[in-house]
Amino acid sequence: MLDVAGIGKDRLHLAWISSAEALRFAEITTSTTLAVRGLGKFDSRTFALELSAAEMTLGSETLRWLVGKEVKLTTGGDVYGHKWETERYESVIDAILEREYHKNLIYQAVKEGCTSVRDVSKRIGIELNKVSYLLADLERTNMIEFTGMEDRKPVFAVK
Amino acid sequence: MTDFEPKIVAFLCNWCAYASADLAGVSRLQYPPNIRPIRVMCSGRVDPVVIIQAFKKGCDGILVAG
Repeated sequence: MLDVAGIGKDRLHLAWISSAEALRFAEITTSTTLAVRGLGKFDSRTFALELSAAEMTLGSETLRWLVGKEVKLTTGGDVYGHKWETERYESVIDAILEREYHKNLIYQAVKEGCTSVRDVSKRIGIELNKVSYLLADLERTNMIEFTGMEDRKPVFAVK
Repeated sequence: MTDFEPKIVAFLCNWCAYASADLAGVSRLQYPPNIRPIRVMCSGRVDPVVIIQAFKKGCDGILVAG
């Protein structure tokens, strides 16, 4: 998720330390600090749109359901009795994550005041046709509405 | 930016990493003061949303240790 949002997964570290390994704790905190110091300061203001979109995505029902279904789909099978390969499950969840994230990014951009497809595309750096395709989806799920034409351009607003 | 000190939020599991941090303190081991420990009852409790919120609030890095 952090990579998709352009923040980079290097800012997030994960480690397993037993309660008896004080030395390992000291080593890991030192290496984490060095790594993050090397990356430099993280300015959350320049990533405001991306962070909000990521938060919406990770908290969304779609993704949470899918994460919760992992064991069932890969070991038990789906409603049709098909067992999913782990790779297939992962590629599906990656695709959905990216799609939902882009949708939420568009939503945030419109909320911020970008009204036309061109403005949104310029603000978040996603191609025009993809923006209009995902906008249609956002309209269908009642998150964004079409409010009319202005200078022969369709105008959108957050519902 | 040579004197930049990163702010790192550390989510530590109560039973493993937090105890090891405690032990590191008792054994007087040196570790950087950049980490801001948050004790959680299990590192599995750390929701991805919480991590994004931490970045939103302006931390530079996150460590999840279990």
